[in-house]
Amino acid sequence: MAGLELLSDQGYRLDGRKATELRKVQARMSVFAQADGSAYLEQGNTKALAVVYGPHEIRGSRSKSLHDRAIINCQYSMATFSTAERKRRPHGDRKSSEMSLHLKQTFEAAVLTELYPRSQIDIYVKILQADGGNYSACVNAATLALVDAGIPMRDYVCACSAGFVEDTPLADLCHAEESGGGTALALALLPRSGNIALLQMDARLHQDHLDTLMEAAMTACKEFSKVLDSVVRQHLEEVSDLTRD
Amino acid sequence: MIKTEKILHLNSSKGRKVRVVREHYMREQVPCGSSLCQADCQNVGKVLSRDVTHYVVPDVGVVRDFLEILELRELQGIVLTQTAYQTVQHTRGRRHYNRLRSLLKDPRHDCVLFANEFQQYSYCPREKGESQDKWHTRNVYNAAVWYYNHLAGLQPVVMITEDRDAISEFSASNSGVFVISTQEYLLGFWPDLQAAHDLYHSIAQTLQERENDGAEKVYTEHLPAEVLEAGIKSGRYIQGILSVNKHRAQHEAFVRYEGSASKNTELNSDVLINGAKHRNRAVHGDVVVIELLPRNEWKGRTMALTEGQGEERPLEDTQSQPMPTGRVVEILQRNWRDYVVTLPPFEEMQSQSRNSQKILVVPWDYRIPKIRISTQQAEALQDQRVIVRLDSWESTSVYPNGHFVRVLGKSGELETEIQTILVENCIHVPPFSEAQLREMPVNTEENPWQMDSNEVSSRRDLRDSHLVFSIDPKGCEDVDDTLSVRTLPGGKRLELGVHIADVTHFVREGSLTDLEARSRATTYYLADRRYDMLPAVLSADLCSLLGGVDRYAMSVLWELDAETLEVCSVWFGRTLIRSSYQLHYELAQSLLNGEEVEVPELNPLKGSQRDQKMSELLQALETLTRVARHLRAQRDKGGALELEGVEVRAQLDEEKNITALVPKQPLEVHETVAECMIYANHWVARKIQESFPHHALLRHHPPPKQEFFNHLIDSAKAHGFSIDTRSNRALADSLERAVDPRDPLVNRLLRMMATQAMSNALYFSTGSCPEEQYYHYGLALARYTHFTSPIRRYADVIVHRLLMAAVQLEKDESPSKALACNKELEELAQHINNKNRAAQHSQKQSIELFQCMYFRDKDSHTDERCVADAVIYAVRANGFLAFVPQYGLKGAVYLKDREGQVISVDGDGKCEWKPGTLQKYSDKIITSTSTGTHTFYLFNHVTVRISVEPSRCHADSLNLELISNKPHCAVQPESQPAGGGRSGLVEEVVRWAEEASLQAEEQRGRKPKLSKEEKQFRQSKTPNLYVLLQEISELALMDLSICQITNSEEQTCTVSS
Repeated sequence: MAGLELLSDQGYRLDGRKATELRKVQARMSVFAQADGSAYLEQGNTKALAVVYGPHEIRGSRSKSLHDRAIINCQYSMATFSTAERKRRPHGDRKSSEMSLHLKQTFEAAVLTELYPRSQIDIYVKILQADGGNYSACVNAATLALVDAGIPMRDYVCACSAGFVEDTPLADLCHAEESGGGTALALALLPRSGNIALLQMDARLHQDHLDTLMEAAMTACKEFSKVLDSVVRQHLEEVSDLTRD
Repeated sequence: MIKTEKILHLNSSKGRKVRVVREHYMREQVPCGSSLCQADCQNVGKVLSRDVTHYVVPDVGVVRDFLEILELRELQGIVLTQTAYQTVQHTRGRRHYNRLRSLLKDPRHDCVLFANEFQQYSYCPREKGESQDKWHTRNVYNAAVWYYNHLAGLQPVVMITEDRDAISEFSASNSGVFVISTQEYLLGFWPDLQAAHDLYHSIAQTLQERENDGAEKVYTEHLPAEVLEAGIKSGRYIQGILSVNKHRAQHEAFVRYEGSASKNTELNSDVLINGAKHRNRAVHGDVVVIELLPRNEWKGRTMALTEGQGEERPLEDTQSQPMPTGRVVEILQRNWRDYVVTLPPFEEMQSQSRNSQKILVVPWDYRIPKIRISTQQAEALQDQRVIVRLDSWESTSVYPNGHFVRVLGKSGELETEIQTILVENCIHVPPFSEAQLREMPVNTEENPWQMDSNEVSSRRDLRDSHLVFSIDPKGCEDVDDTLSVRTLPGGKRLELGVHIADVTHFVREGSLTDLEARSRATTYYLADRRYDMLPAVLSADLCSLLGGVDRYAMSVLWELDAETLEVCSVWFGRTLIRSSYQLHYELAQSLLNGEEVEVPELNPLKGSQRDQKMSELLQALETLTRVARHLRAQRDKGGALELEGVEVRAQLDEEKNITALVPKQPLEVHETVAECMIYANHWVARKIQESFPHHALLRHHPPPKQEFFNHLIDSAKAHGFSIDTRSNRALADSLERAVDPRDPLVNRLLRMMATQAMSNALYFSTGSCPEEQYYHYGLALARYTHFTSPIRRYADVIVHRLLMAAVQLEKDESPSKALACNKELEELAQHINNKNRAAQHSQKQSIELFQCMYFRDKDSHTDERCVADAVIYAVRANGFLAFVPQYGLKGAVYLKDREGQVISVDGDGKCEWKPGTLQKYSDKIITSTSTGTHTFYLFNHVTVRISVEPSRCHADSLNLELISNKPHCAVQPESQPAGGGRSGLVEEVVRWAEEASLQAEEQRGRKPKLSKEEKQFRQSKTPNLYVLLQEISELALMDLSICQITNSEEQTCTVSS
């Protein structure tokens, strides 16, 4: 079998999108009552569940606490049924630890942690179905969960992946595109200020192309921020309707 | 966009089946790609024309199996569905897929791709329990219906399929789309297109037979991809290209490494693949993966000379040291092309197989195994040369399966054999199509071509200010270079100008003519004809810088200091010129020598005016010669330049024996012109390389490897000369000294060997090669390219475009079109290199063909012309290699025959076969028989008899037989035409062929029927060999391309050694 053609001569990707088109995003907030904040987000076929506890007192050893701000604790895991072949170990492997660390860095940049000294905020994210762009789905879901928990942030954090195929940047990669062997970049953006919370790329890319690729990823992130914003506003309307009565 | 999901079942990396869910987005707006579109689709690129009778939508199976029929340019209005496109990609592999892609890209084919699965209304999801094939067919049908409705019924749409059920199911649904089978379609719509019908039948038959095959395995299965990948990474398997030894095709093949796989230091040579079992279905040229055999199974290569055909007996005693030996475990990429084959004699065919429909045919190329084809026209195809294509090679089959494509003609006829040579070298030169000719400017008597006023104002006008003239071979039609030289006002500066035909003005990038020229890449010169790269209206008329007419040109003008001849400045750009004189070499030389000759352009003039013009011309020629001498001397002083001069002479030496027409000493004016061209090429190379350091097209000539010179050094030592090969200059000097006053041939042969040791000059893109490798060894220039012959080389066209872009860049204008990036340019350079190689092979083969045809009808025992003098130039285990200067041919002479008898020489030099033994040394070979011993030394002159070894399936070959160890007393036979040698030979053969065909025509009582295109483009009417060889020799003057001819010949010899 010949290798997959990620971008056809007509400009279509494997799943029928054009290069800059994003996958369909759907999200719900407050899916659990016990947690302080929660959200469920579908980005194409990638489904993520995020739960936030806190801010609360530091659990475990007190020595970890910081006197001027809150610490953020992230845990990322994938459901055993999330991939095509059943996963043996849902969390704690190298990839998940790395992802947890990335999430932690992202949200330390976005959450106003200095408002809660000597306390802790927990973010738990679970991937229910993985189809590429796990990191960005996690970030977007966690943002909604944080909003739901009422934790003050500088801005929405929106993340998106982007790839580079035949001199064209592709936004929001699906799994087939990610595993196709090309360059992939993940970017988390605070859209209003344009600050970058996290930028990660493992593959090789010519320096000349980096700008175009980042530009594509940032445009995609801004698209996401609009979607997230509408989700939050809709949720707010629903909640206020309920409380009015 | 609407999101749906598609469920696929794929194989995971561990070989398990997994269920994968993929998203599938659909939209309303998908461009249809037809010019009839009523819905404002945003079509980009190719669109289907509106003036066809119908559109045809082929089903998945048709595209998969009958792609070759769709590739016929006559079939128009083809709508390929994405469904079919992707199925081909998944089921038939990369090669097939790439063919489909290039079909879609090629503007000469009227076909488009319709992304039906992304169109909301034409896609239908797979139903439960529906088989994949059914689903695909349904999708294609839906797409056809959508297409019909989308065009509002303006164009009938036909869907062709091989699925019987689909035909009955869908024809009933009455939606406006006709569903018929491929065969019905061809019969109904293309009844006259015989090629399509033939192809259909042969493919259909092959498919059918593949189905009911099933027997025991002959070959081991190829390895699965995972094992292979791991194996290549760990170094257990080696990847390389298989090349079969032409002389021992059934037994010996070699694999050359690709890349730096030589972790193992002992494995830096080629790997031997011995026998068909180990070759495991690989064919010459395939990219294969091999595994080394254990050391005790290693074998050596065979040293003895063997005849190309006949049974090959393994000669264990003549094998060399064991070398790495391996077996093929997987074929990564098939490099199958069209093969010319001959059917076996009818009697043999009947005994060969039970069912007479399957026939084993023998390819013309020795390196290709026999091919099994199915045909019902076996009897009609007797004695014909036929093109076949390979389809598959199952592990259960001894021979590969192929199918018949078309007939070339009767074997043995000149025309057929020439076509065979073209096909075997993958040279495709159809007459220029009407669409291409329509792009050409018109220049007829009634409607003469005129210059565009915009062009006139934008170009620098040199018509009045410069005396421009051309020096070319006599009778040359395509003049692509002219020269000018003048003293600038003030007398302190000289201006030297080289003006090259402005082909790029007429051939716009991306036009049909450009595409055609790109795919041809060069003009092909065969022994009796040529195939032009550009249509005749350009190559012989509008681009050709003829005398007395206004022409567009690309010029390089140098300002030189009048005294020191240093370059002060250089100017590149587009110009207008009018060549005043169209000289030929002999005329120019006579003028320079001060002889009284007539210049045709001056004939109408009278008296003083004429004398004045004449002196102007003379002065220009003299200045030019002075400048050229200086340029040459300058380069000599620069060091390491001498070899180039040697090369020139060595080339001309080669030429001499090919033509026997070129004078012994080349005229100085040849060198003058060549020097100016080299200079222009060099300066253009500098310019474009500076402007585009990462994507300029240059030409380099890598320095040869020292070990290749061993043969030369040893041979020279045997004759008492020492050759220093450390640098090109040292080599040139030592070759200059190695002259035997008694035998001028010795020096010639030594130079020939030196040329053989060199590699070929190649085009490359500057971005893909480090700067120190830009060096041109033969010309001893740091940078070199081809700029001066755009009419017959595509590389020059590219260089012209680059140069114009560089000039524009200097003026801060952005180039009108984006230039090719490094990757594209490198691919193009490879393509041109390949085509040049093919051109040289075909030229060599056509010359061999003519040699054979010349000797074919002569009785070698009675005809005086079949006996000739030969020189020994290499010694082998059972004979030696000899060179026959009179006919310029090389061949093996056996001293030992099949029965083990050896040649014995009696008192007056006559040779006989007698039982005895042979002993081989590095510089001599000794035969000992009961009557005595005789020693043959290198460079000995002997007499040989030339006879033709006829061959049914392959090219005929010449056989040399030793008849005396004395030099042949060279009585110049009077029957030889004055021109003598090879040219006489070619003319004679052409005459015979024409006479024979005439006779045949008369017998049939018909007039010879030559199509217009044939008359126009094949130009076999006047085989002006002189012109042609002059052109080749000029090519050789500028680089070493010609040495490849001898080079490849030598390689085949060394392989057999």
